[in-house]
Amino acid sequence: MSGSIAYAANLSVTPAGRIYAAVKPILWLAVGLFAVEVLVMAFEIRPYYLPRPSAIASGIMATPGAYLAGLWRTFLETALGFLAGSVFGVVMAVVFHRWLALKELFFPLFIVSQTIPVIAFGAVVVLWFGNTLFAKAVISFYISFLPVTVNTLLGFSSVDPRQVQLMRSFGARDGQILRRLYLPAALPQLFVALKLASSLALVGAIVGEWFGDTTGLGVLLLQAMYNENVVGIWATIVVSACLGMGLYSLVSFAERKIVFWGGEQ
Amino acid sequence: MMERAMALTEEHLRGPAAGAMGLIDLLKPSKGRAVAQVPAKLETAEPTDAGKPLIELRNVSKTFGTVKALQDLEVSIRPGELVTVVGPSGCGKSTLFNILAGLEEPDPGNVLRHKGISSVASDLLGKVSFMPQRDLLLPWRNVIDNAILALEIEGMPRGEARKQAMAMLPEFGLAGFEAQYPNQLSGGMRQRVALMRTFLFKRDLMLLDEPFGALDALTRTMMQRWLLDVWQNHKRTVLFITHDVDEAIFLGDRVLVMTARPGRVKLEQAVDLPRPRKADIVTSPEFIALKKTLLEAIEEESMKSFQVAGY
Ligand SMILES: Nc1ncnc2c1ncn2[C@@H]1O[C@H](COP(=O)(O)OP(=O)(O)O)[C@@H](O)[C@H]1O
Ligand SMILES: [Mg+2]
Repeated sequence: MSGSIAYAANLSVTPAGRIYAAVKPILWLAVGLFAVEVLVMAFEIRPYYLPRPSAIASGIMATPGAYLAGLWRTFLETALGFLAGSVFGVVMAVVFHRWLALKELFFPLFIVSQTIPVIAFGAVVVLWFGNTLFAKAVISFYISFLPVTVNTLLGFSSVDPRQVQLMRSFGARDGQILRRLYLPAALPQLFVALKLASSLALVGAIVGEWFGDTTGLGVLLLQAMYNENVVGIWATIVVSACLGMGLYSLVSFAERKIVFWGGEQ
Repeated sequence: MMERAMALTEEHLRGPAAGAMGLIDLLKPSKGRAVAQVPAKLETAEPTDAGKPLIELRNVSKTFGTVKALQDLEVSIRPGELVTVVGPSGCGKSTLFNILAGLEEPDPGNVLRHKGISSVASDLLGKVSFMPQRDLLLPWRNVIDNAILALEIEGMPRGEARKQAMAMLPEFGLAGFEAQYPNQLSGGMRQRVALMRTFLFKRDLMLLDEPFGALDALTRTMMQRWLLDVWQNHKRTVLFITHDVDEAIFLGDRVLVMTARPGRVKLEQAVDLPRPRKADIVTSPEFIALKKTLLEAIEEESMKSFQVAGY
């Protein structure tokens, strides 16, 4: 991860290098797709197993509105669940950090909560909240907060106790030490979790939609499956992958802006 | 190498006009340099009410589990003094500082007086400006924001704190570096940022724990001279830990030699060398004599701590 960032940073020294760095992923994606296209045709793979990339593309272009609407809906569910999960995850880490007794009491419960399969949990949530955007966001939230809590706590524990003592010698209160020391120090670890949580939140939203809904990428996937519309399945996979990568890149971008000091600690 | 070049230019640029000795002056033979630069306020820096200690410790012991770090320590610091502390490593010097900074409570039965008032150590939290052994700069804060950390915690608005810190930058050889981050600075500069943070936190007592320990010899000598200038300008009471006897004599009004663990004050040596102290004072017979006395005392204690360790 950090290696690739360093690589990109090296490249961006010259303008030409910067353009290459930006275009490079697209270039490789194009090469990859072309290779798949050639392979599918060369080995005469049946579309039932793997349709040609060009067929998938034209499948998306045939009804772009449906895919866009699905994308938007799933994005909203994911974003809502992800944001709620991240905030809750950090707040719980702070609570556990501040009151160790609460941590001993409830942290095991947190872990247990994650052993309940989302599928089982999802049915209950849809029963409670109906077939709403909110219900899907709740499922997203449910599977994304734990890594945030765990990594934030990990980040807190990386704080040098001498640093805490220094702040206390300045007469700092607990809240000041939290804001000026613990929270910033946990940011590198927090972002590792946020990247993971963004992917998990998307899974949560898609699975949530399987419990019944009218729009969303999960719905498109189910419909395509029932209709044995292989191109439709692959088209939805591609759109979901784009959403997943987009969310991940967004979090990575924020990470590079916010955690500018990197792993130095 | 980088660091050295840096320090050279800074010192050079500051020159004698800034009230500090420029590098060129430092390298020249000392005659004709020092007297002209003595700030007029120097006399007032002398302790006025020498009878009243700023801080007084008696019967201070500290035990960590089975380790007795300090035993029946007695220290008394008068206002305006610069007292240096030397002793074998592990003898409890940092522990003494932690107590004075309010971070550790000594074992029961101690006497701790701050400005004549009986106190517990934690009363001293926020009352002493403490510089720990490592610079402990926050990597996400630039030079200026690291320097104002203590002021911010006191509740001073950031804008005002930054203004104060900006005004201090040149004196600390950091002018133009306010926006740099710690990972962009040399060891000497990081140490000066940490010192600036300590100086900005204006308290009667300043505790410096081996502030120059990690610097190369040339940078360290320059920092010592510079510290004396700054100390004379700011009139603070300073307690300074070092493992370097030359440093202890060169800087101190008094040198406290601590015993091997458990730490006590073995020897309290007044340093009656005139101030301002010139660079060549280290070769004067008085200095050499002091050094001899102190080295003997330290040697004895170091041997003890070696034997304890089983060598
Ligand atoms: N928080 C602590 N817990 C346990 N032992 C400690 C602690 N702080 C210091 N010590 C022990 O006390 C002794 C004195 O340590 P210290 O004051 O750091 O020595 P110095 O600064 O003189 O090298 C050492 O043996 C050290 O291991
Ligand atoms: Mg120490």
